[in-house]
Amino acid sequence: MTLLGQLRLLWWRKMLETLRAPVWVVMGLTTPLLYLALFAPLLRRLGGGPGFAHGGVLDTFIPGILVLMAFGSGMGAGWIVIDEVRTGVIERLRVTPVSRFALLLGSVLRDVVTFVVPALVVVVVSIPFGYHPHTAGTVLLLVLLCLVVAVTSAWSAALGITLRDIGSLAAVVTGLQLPLTLLSGILLPLSLAPGWLRGLAHVDPLYYAVQASRHLSAGDVADVAVATGFLVIAALAALTLVWATRCYRAATA
Amino acid sequence: MTVGGMSNVLAAKGLRKSFPGRGGPVEAVRGVDLRVRAGEVFGFLGPNGAGKTTTLRMLATLLPIDAGSAHIAGVDVRRDPAEVRRRIGYVGQVGGADLPATGRENLLLQGRLHGASRAAAARRADELVDVLALGEFVDRRAATYSGGQRRRLEVALGLMHSPALLFLDEPTTGLDPQNRANLWDQLRALRARGTTIFLTTHYLEEADALADRLAIIDRGRVVAEGTPAELKRQVGGETVLLRPGPGPTTPDRLRTLLDEQPFVRESRLAGDTLYLTIGDGSRTLPRLLAALAEHQVTLETISLSAPSLDDVFLRTTGRALRDAGTSLAVPAARQEVPA
Ligand SMILES: Nc1ncnc2c1ncn2[C@@H]1O[C@H](COP(=O)(O)OP(=O)(O)OP(=O)(O)O)[C@@H](O)[C@H]1O
Ligand SMILES: [Mg+2]
Repeated sequence: MTLLGQLRLLWWRKMLETLRAPVWVVMGLTTPLLYLALFAPLLRRLGGGPGFAHGGVLDTFIPGILVLMAFGSGMGAGWIVIDEVRTGVIERLRVTPVSRFALLLGSVLRDVVTFVVPALVVVVVSIPFGYHPHTAGTVLLLVLLCLVVAVTSAWSAALGITLRDIGSLAAVVTGLQLPLTLLSGILLPLSLAPGWLRGLAHVDPLYYAVQASRHLSAGDVADVAVATGFLVIAALAALTLVWATRCYRAATA
Repeated sequence: MTVGGMSNVLAAKGLRKSFPGRGGPVEAVRGVDLRVRAGEVFGFLGPNGAGKTTTLRMLATLLPIDAGSAHIAGVDVRRDPAEVRRRIGYVGQVGGADLPATGRENLLLQGRLHGASRAAAARRADELVDVLALGEFVDRRAATYSGGQRRRLEVALGLMHSPALLFLDEPTTGLDPQNRANLWDQLRALRARGTTIFLTTHYLEEADALADRLAIIDRGRVVAEGTPAELKRQVGGETVLLRPGPGPTTPDRLRTLLDEQPFVRESRLAGDTLYLTIGDGSRTLPRLLAALAEHQVTLETISLSAPSLDDVFLRTTGRALRDAGTSLAVPAARQEVPA
């Protein structure tokens, strides 16, 4: 069986899992919509002020929210993997000829889908409220963010399979989530930040994703921030996928 | 691989595995030799922590082998693990069913990952639904199954690609007696269809009831190997249980009296019941009865029982297989018999 064939089977197994627990789909949508409803209004007055150069506030804010969604979409993977290690599913699949990479990618692609669908909903819902997304730019933006999902999903799965303990996984994930989010300038543009904070942001890969996203959404596809964002995130995705595949290969329980 | 006209599905020699642990490495498996022949049910019996799962995981390509060699269906496990995976089924101790999916989805996916077409996988799944009696629940989500139903599904998963050898790690642990008996029947049915099975267990009755041949493992070493009958014959004795009736002969006095008889190898008193180990029961029993008559002993109970695998375990390791948690006809507390 080809890698692609295996991938399709394993991805569909994961999709069925998601479709049968639609509560997660709903949960995935509530967070961004709550931000839109309860946080975006706070930004209205800032329109035209420093950091919000492009017209409406939402044009700065929505790309950030999309990055936040991408970042969160993959993070649950580790919990599911721990469950699968515990119930012996991973072990059973490892005694078949199936590729370990396909095993990992099946769940990564599920996370990509569960990101893209609510992301499109958020984009469409925001338009009547003053969001002006550039069409081609938004397509590229979603591609970039799918790579972000791949990074977090593979990273979380690798951690889960290595730590094999929900408590430790939760500690690592939540411990990193807040600083990475704050430093990336997701909620407010970092142009508002003092110099040292802006400098520090450069060690946060999410920062590059956020910068690229704002340009893409505005249609500045040729901006150097876009290329940088793709480079940083693609390199990170490659590294994470290789590492996570190794973890699947070595998994013992 | 053929030895003495019998084809070996599995041949392992000198298997070793140690894990890093506090205060030095834990030697989980310390030089295990095994042979499993085509068509047989091979039992791997041992108490908790004996090294059964570790051995199985090495054979199933899940754990690297520290030392030794293993061939399954002619394929070297260390050299070509991918090919071995095509030839074995593996049902782990913790399970392996994908709980959010239905039983049938589990079966179809397993078949297809092994390279079967959709139609072939569906046919094979139907077959296994019959053999393992999954019909009632196979289209429900596995999360809703009872322990016995789940175990049957897992056995079926291991069989989807008709492997040359099926590994079952403690297939009936945690099942109630009814479910255990059912699964035994189904495993016998599989054997009758030619499936070769390697199962681990810490239940003596299970090894006795299912295994054509078995190896007893203790602390990482195989301490005995053979058919259940051969192993029991090695112990070479049978046990007589006696309980004196009302009268002047107390159990204590009865013991003193019988200890003098040349055919009694050993005796042990537990409460008011006396256990004697004797040689060949059919010849010795009449002499025992004659001796009892001579001393005018009245009996409340007398019974003769063949040696059990527990006796084998006790004899080879000097310890009782207590972890098994099975009730045995004869409480095992006899001291080691000089060989
Ligand atoms: N991954 C591991 N790391 C460290 N020690 C291990 C590991 N796996 C097994 N062991 C140790 O190796 C020994 C053998 O364990 P194993 O699981 O093979 O026993 P078992 O015969 O299957 O027991 P049980 O009947 O309880 O399943 C035990 O002492 C166990 O603690
Ligand atoms: Mg075990």
